[in-house]
Amino acid sequence: MLFKLSLTGVKSRLKDYTVLFSGLAAASMIFYMFLSLATNPQFLKSSGGGLISAQTTTVTFGFGTVLLAILTLVYLFYANGFLLSMRKRDYGMYMMLGAQASKIGQLIFLETLVTGFLATGIGLILGIILTKLVSGLMVAQLGLTLKHFNPLYLPALLWTLAFFTALFFLAALWNAAKLTKTAVIKLLKDDQKPSQIKNRPVLRAIEGIAGLILLAIGYLAMANVEKLVLKALPIALVTIVLGSYFLISATFINIIDFLRKQKKFFYQGMRPFTLGQLKFRLHDYTRILSAISIMFALALGAITVGLNFNSLKDALTDSQYYDAIILNNDQTANKQIEKLGGKAQASYTYKYDSNNARIYLLKAEVEQNPLKIKRYIKNLSSKKSESRTQSGLYETVTVKADQLTEKAAKQGLMASYSAAQLFSQTASRAVALDSAAFAKIKAQSQTVTFYKVNNFAQKAQALFKITQKQEKRYKEGSNEYLLLEMTKPVSYQLVASMCSGFEFMGFFLGLAFLMMLASTLMFKVLSGAASDKLRYEMLHKIGAQARVLKASLRKEIGVLFLAPALLGAIDVLFGLQFFKLLLPNPYSQIWIPFVIFFILYLVYYLITVKLYEGLVIED
Amino acid sequence: MEEVMKVTSVTKTYGKKGEKQYQALKGVSFTVEKGEFVAIMGASGSGKSTLLNILSTLDQATSGEVLVNGHDITRLNKKKLANFRAKEIGFIFQEFNLLDNLTARENIALPLTLQGLSTNRIDPLVEQIAGKLNIQDLLDKYPAAISGGQKQRVAAARALVHEPAILLADEPTGALDSKSSRAMLDTMELLNRRDQVSILMVTHDPFSSSFADRILFIQDGIIGKEVKKGDLSRQDFYKKLIADLGEIED
Repeated sequence: MLFKLSLTGVKSRLKDYTVLFSGLAAASMIFYMFLSLATNPQFLKSSGGGLISAQTTTVTFGFGTVLLAILTLVYLFYANGFLLSMRKRDYGMYMMLGAQASKIGQLIFLETLVTGFLATGIGLILGIILTKLVSGLMVAQLGLTLKHFNPLYLPALLWTLAFFTALFFLAALWNAAKLTKTAVIKLLKDDQKPSQIKNRPVLRAIEGIAGLILLAIGYLAMANVEKLVLKALPIALVTIVLGSYFLISATFINIIDFLRKQKKFFYQGMRPFTLGQLKFRLHDYTRILSAISIMFALALGAITVGLNFNSLKDALTDSQYYDAIILNNDQTANKQIEKLGGKAQASYTYKYDSNNARIYLLKAEVEQNPLKIKRYIKNLSSKKSESRTQSGLYETVTVKADQLTEKAAKQGLMASYSAAQLFSQTASRAVALDSAAFAKIKAQSQTVTFYKVNNFAQKAQALFKITQKQEKRYKEGSNEYLLLEMTKPVSYQLVASMCSGFEFMGFFLGLAFLMMLASTLMFKVLSGAASDKLRYEMLHKIGAQARVLKASLRKEIGVLFLAPALLGAIDVLFGLQFFKLLLPNPYSQIWIPFVIFFILYLVYYLITVKLYEGLVIED
Repeated sequence: MEEVMKVTSVTKTYGKKGEKQYQALKGVSFTVEKGEFVAIMGASGSGKSTLLNILSTLDQATSGEVLVNGHDITRLNKKKLANFRAKEIGFIFQEFNLLDNLTARENIALPLTLQGLSTNRIDPLVEQIAGKLNIQDLLDKYPAAISGGQKQRVAAARALVHEPAILLADEPTGALDSKSSRAMLDTMELLNRRDQVSILMVTHDPFSSSFADRILFIQDGIIGKEVKKGDLSRQDFYKKLIADLGEIED
C-alpha cells in the first residue's frame, strides 16, 4: 500500500522528478566521459607523444579524477537535498496518517537507490554516445589524432557504476535516517520557517576589504610567476580561495544593500523583490558561489591551456625556415612536393666530414642563395624586427658566404653553427669553400634542396609521408636519415600528436568541470523553488503580471550565475600566468575557450530559468 | 449611494462537461456600497472561498457579472486582470503573506512600485499609511522579527497603500491570538469609519463579523439571510448574531 502511495507521489511530481532524474543522469554521464580517458593507460601514454612522461599524464588525470569526484559528491549532495525537499512533505503526511517510521525509512531508502540506479544507467548510455560524438567532432574539427581511444571502455564503465552505487547507497542511508529522525511537524512545515540575516555592516566591510586584499595578493603572485616560480601556485591557491569567499560574502551583499538604499533605482517595478531575493540568496549561497567561481576558473583554465598546446604547433612551424627538404635530387619526391604547391627555394651541394664535424659548402652557391635560418628571439619585448614571424618567437636571419669561414667556424660563431644544422644533426660547423678547395675534401658530395609551401599546417601530413619515403632510402642512424628525421614535417607530426592529446584532455576536463559545476548551481537554485513558490503566488495575488515575475526571476538567477562566472574568469586570466613557464603564449586565442564557455554556461542558465519558471510561476 | 462592488447571478461549476460536475456557487447576487463594511459568513464548504477568489479576480466565474468600481472583471483578459488587481483591490489573507526577504517598508511599497509610481512619491505614501496603522516603528524590520499581529497590520498597510476601491479580507484574524485579533478588527473598523475604506470580509467567526455594518450568510453556494447592524451597539449585534446563527442551524 505504502509502496503504491510512494509511486503515486512520484507520478504527481513528475515534473520535479524529471529535473532531478536528468540531473543525476548528467552527473554519471560526465563522470563516465572523464573516466573513459582517465582509466585508459594506453591512451594516456600515447597522448604524451613520448615527450611528456606517462607518469605526468597519469598524475594529471589522477588529480582531475579526485577533483571531479569531490565535485560530484557536492553535486549529489545538492541533488539529494532537492529530492528530500520534494518528498519530505509527502512522507510527513504518510507518517501523520500512521505509517511507521521504519516503513517510511525503507521506502525513501528504496526510492533513492532506484532513482540513483536508473539515472546512472541512463547516464552511462548517454555518456558512451556523447563520448563518441565529442571525440568524433574534435577529431574532425580540430584535426586531432587520437590513438587507443574507445568511447565504450569497460574499466571506466565499471568505475563509474561502482562510484555512483556507493554514493547513492550513502545518500539512501542518509535520507532514511534523516526522514525517520525528523519530527513529523518539521517535515510538514519546514518550508515556512523564516530566514534571517544579521545586519553587521562593519564586519562585512572588513570582510570585503580582506577579500579584495587576498585576491590582489593571489593575482600579484600569479602575475609575478616568473620570479616566484613554484611558490606562486600555493600562494595563489590559498589567497584566491579565501578571497573569493570573502568577496562574495561581503561585497556582493554590500552592493545590493547600496542599491537598496538608492530609492530612485530601488522603487521600480519588481526591483525591491529581486534585490531582496538576491540579498538572502547570496548570503545563503556564499559557500557554493565561491566554490563555483574557483571550479569555473579550473574548468576554463583546463580548456584554455588544452587549446593552447596547439600554439606549440605554431611555434614549431615557425622555428624552421624551410618546410621540407629533398636529398640528392629524388625525382619522385620532387614531383610529389611540387604537386602540393611546394617551390624549391635553393639547392646546395655539400660534403659532410664526420671526423671534423664540418659541413663544407660551395661558396658560389651560398653567394647566389644565402642560407636562411630562424633564430629564437631572446629578448622579445626589445626587438621589433620586421622579420618577426607569426608566433612572434623567431626571426629569420640570412647567413652569407663570407660569414662561413674556417676562422668563424673555429671561433664557434652562431652563423656557422646554425648553417650546419641545415645539413646535418651531428656536424656543428659549416664552412663555405671555393670549388677547388671543395673538390679536395675527401667525402661524398651530396645535394639538398629546400622547399617552402603555402599553408604548411594543412600539408604537413602529406609532407610527412614524402619525408618518410625518402628516409627509407638511407640507413637508420646515418647522417642523411637523421637530417630527414629532424625536418619540419617530422617534428611537426610529433608535436601534433602530443598537442592533440593535451587539447583533448584539457577540453574534456574543462567540459566535465563546467557541466558539473553548472549543474550543481542549477540544483542549488532549484532546491529553493518550494519556498519561492509561495512568494511568487503572493506577488501574483497583489497584481504582478506573469511577464513581470518571469523577468524578475531571470534577473535574479542571472546574477547568481554571473557572479561566480565573473570572478572565475578573472581567476583564469591571472592563473594563465602560471603557464607562461610552459607555453609560448598562453593568452593567444583566449577568446575561443571563453566563447565555448559562454555558450555552454548560457545554455545552463536558460535551462535553469525555464525549469524554475515551471516550478514557481503558474500561468 | 455609490456602489463599489456589484455582484449579479454569479455561478461557479467545477469539472468539465461530460464529467461529474460540482456547482460551488449557484447564483450569488449582492452589492457593497462605498464606505461600507460587509461580512460574508459561512461554514467550510459553503462556497465563501470560491466567491472570494472570484471577487479578487484570482478565479473566473462560470456565469454572471462582477462589477468593481464600474468595471466588469469577468470580461478582462489575464494581463488586464493583473493590472486591475494591482490598482483596485487590496488583500489581507489569513496567513500574513508578507514577503520574508523584504522589510516591512519594502513590502508595503511593492504595490506602488509595481504600478510604476514615481519613486519620490513612494516613501511619503508608505509613511502615511504606516501612521494610520500605527506601525511606523516597524518599517525597517524584516517580517521574521515582528509578531503575528504586527505582521497583519503590515499586510493591511500593503493592502491599502495604493488606495484600492475595496479591501478584501479573508479570515484576517484566523492566525492571531485573541488580543491581536481584537486590535486588528478595531483597526479595520477605524479605517472604515474614519477613512471611508470599503471592506468585504469573509469569515466563519461571529465575533469578527460583528464589526461589520451588514452580514451576508452563505450556505451551499447561495446567499440566504442578510443581517444589518443598524443602530445596535457592537455587543448587541454580536448577541443577535449568535441567536440568528442558532436559528440558521436549526
